[in-house]
Amino acid sequence: MSLAPSEHAPATATPAGRGATGQTGRTRPGHRRLLTRTSVPYLLIMPAVLGFAVFKAYPIVASLWISLTTGNGAGRHFTGLDNYQRLLNDPLFWTALKNTALILVVQVPLMLGLALLVALGLNSTKVWLRPLWRLGVFIPSLTGLVAAGVMFSVILNRDAGLLNWVLSLFGIDRVNWLGSPFWARVGVVLVITWHYTGYNAVIYLAGLQGIPQELYEAAKVDGAGPIRRFVSITLPQLRPILLLTVVLSTIGTLQLFDEPYVLTGGGPDNATLTVTMYLYNNGFKYFDFGYASALAYALALIVAVLGFLQVRLMGERK
Amino acid sequence: MSHRLSRRRLLQLATASAAGLGLAACGDNGSGGAGGDSDSGKITVWSWTTAAEGLRSVVPSFERDNPGIKVDVQDVGNPAIWDKITVGLASGGKGLADVLHIGVDYLPGYLDKFPDGIADLSRLGADKYKDAFAKGLWPTVMGKDKAAHALPWEVNPLGLFYRHDHFEKAGVDPDGISDWNDMISAGSKILDATGVRLLGLDKTGATQDMDFFQNLMQLQDVFYFDQDGKITLASPAAVKALTIIKRLNDAGLIADTAGQGTEKRLLSQGKLATYAEAAWAVEYLASTFPEQKGKWRSMQPPAAVPGGKRNAIVNSTYLTVSGSSTRRKAAWQFIEYALTKPAQINRMFASGGVFPALKAAYDDPKFSAPHPFYGGQKVLKPFVESLSADARATNFTGDYARALKFASDAQSQVLLKGADPAAALKKAAEQLAQQTGRQQAV
Repeated sequence: MSLAPSEHAPATATPAGRGATGQTGRTRPGHRRLLTRTSVPYLLIMPAVLGFAVFKAYPIVASLWISLTTGNGAGRHFTGLDNYQRLLNDPLFWTALKNTALILVVQVPLMLGLALLVALGLNSTKVWLRPLWRLGVFIPSLTGLVAAGVMFSVILNRDAGLLNWVLSLFGIDRVNWLGSPFWARVGVVLVITWHYTGYNAVIYLAGLQGIPQELYEAAKVDGAGPIRRFVSITLPQLRPILLLTVVLSTIGTLQLFDEPYVLTGGGPDNATLTVTMYLYNNGFKYFDFGYASALAYALALIVAVLGFLQVRLMGERK
Repeated sequence: MSHRLSRRRLLQLATASAAGLGLAACGDNGSGGAGGDSDSGKITVWSWTTAAEGLRSVVPSFERDNPGIKVDVQDVGNPAIWDKITVGLASGGKGLADVLHIGVDYLPGYLDKFPDGIADLSRLGADKYKDAFAKGLWPTVMGKDKAAHALPWEVNPLGLFYRHDHFEKAGVDPDGISDWNDMISAGSKILDATGVRLLGLDKTGATQDMDFFQNLMQLQDVFYFDQDGKITLASPAAVKALTIIKRLNDAGLIADTAGQGTEKRLLSQGKLATYAEAAWAVEYLASTFPEQKGKWRSMQPPAAVPGGKRNAIVNSTYLTVSGSSTRRKAAWQFIEYALTKPAQINRMFASGGVFPALKAAYDDPKFSAPHPFYGGQKVLKPFVESLSADARATNFTGDYARALKFASDAQSQVLLKGADPAAALKKAAEQLAQQTGRQQAV
């Protein structure tokens, strides 16, 4: 089957040009050609569509089915919405959701604000060695998530960690970074912020460079100061990019897994348990794939609703 | 005209391939029992670290005695092996090795959730070894079908290792310690005299290593579940166990071992006065901290309650044959060879430090020989004796991982937030019941 297109390729290459005029059917009656002007685009997207069907669509549909069942590989049976009902009564699910929401509300604005400041700095013509700084800011996002987690678990170690050593130089007492519920959350926020600020800063930088200089010059002529120019020109011009990063970061945070998994294992006492971690535990530690699938669908629903709201609230108003 | 045809053809093509995939996926379902019984060829074995090393030491003589079979032992690593086995079983046995090394904490879950995933060994003749292994182990190899699905390899009777030098400096006589009340007062003396804490625990629960809490329950013949699978996490014995941990913590006797490598660092710095671990630690301590030679001794674990029993089986590990293996007989032959012959199993003990479950193995003189690392103490002897005493196997059930999680949360609440043990365990037991649908024992 797969050989067919190439066998026909030489024969159809030229007539294909005429195909659009409706001549092809007559010139070679009874012989249907695979390569025509209209079929080629389909052929080109075929690999992506097939990949999507196998690796995305199939799991999406299958996990919907699994979320409505209980039992094991061989003996799965339909239980309707039982898993979803169980979810609503599961205190750990709510804890995980609360943790995720807390990280979302604290970390995303913090990181994006920081990224914007960094981008403004990198965009300034007064800064020397700009390419070097840009590289430095972006490099953390090239680090693997697990590697970053392991690195920070060493840095944040209470007794032998780098950070506590640095703090001790300033006479600050050792902080039990990963051992107390509050500081463990701070630790996770720290790692994600370290990892993604540069990435967002680079996106903002691209946005900043796309703002026409004339706008600033005109504003200057009209007597606008730097803060006025930032509020009235930079922010409105960056709006679509801000929206993009807010939505991407929100989705990323809702799916947060690697950092708490490596750093804290969700502890202490579930202070850093995220929805995705809880999902993983249910699937691969407790072998409860039905419940894990229900969790996945609940999470997808939350992501969809939040994404929709953000686009509605921040998007361009026509 | 032509474009409609080609579009339809493309659609047909896409549908056909999607259907093919769907069929392939269906074919996977439940094929766990669809392996074969070939008794020759190449079999692969999954194990981890030192145990894998031990198994490799058996291979040459096995291959010599069984010319038709080749054995490939792979060190998959722990805990990676659990993810690998779980994924393999969940996909109907695809890609699993023929022989799987599985711990008692995972085996019941696998048997429960993947009934065809692990092969029936009774059918291959395993039942004749029913009485060959340490007491209490055989029930743990049985599936719901009343057939054996594993052979015990390793058994870990509980011990208590202590720093002879710290004890001596504090004037503590280990023979005078018979329960954890005694141990707590001894611990305070040692802390005062040497500044060394009694033991290490991961207070955050990140590793979910709840062995110490479990041991304190096992010493009272209680676990998260009773023999009927009902929840006993809030039982008086469990509360007693967590209360001992709270008292240790309140007295400042627990060093926090949270964080990668912390426990090992504290041990190597001599900052832990005891190491409440099982038999595997005999060789672990000796080989990891050779410079501490002569400083360690072992004793029977103190009882959880005054006058209570002083022996417990911490855990055990097994060799199993995957249900999807096409060479189940060959795999069984290897397991039988490795685990039921004293010479072979002691060879693995020597090279991998895996404490044997096979009773006949204990006749070897090394089990009563003095150990130089422990100041010439006959360190293995009490472990063997504790196995022949009233040691009971624990019912881990298929929901052990969940129970572990809730117990670990309860312990963290007590250690980090000063929660009341009874209240924390009551909440944990309720959550466990809600999530598993199991009842609480009355």
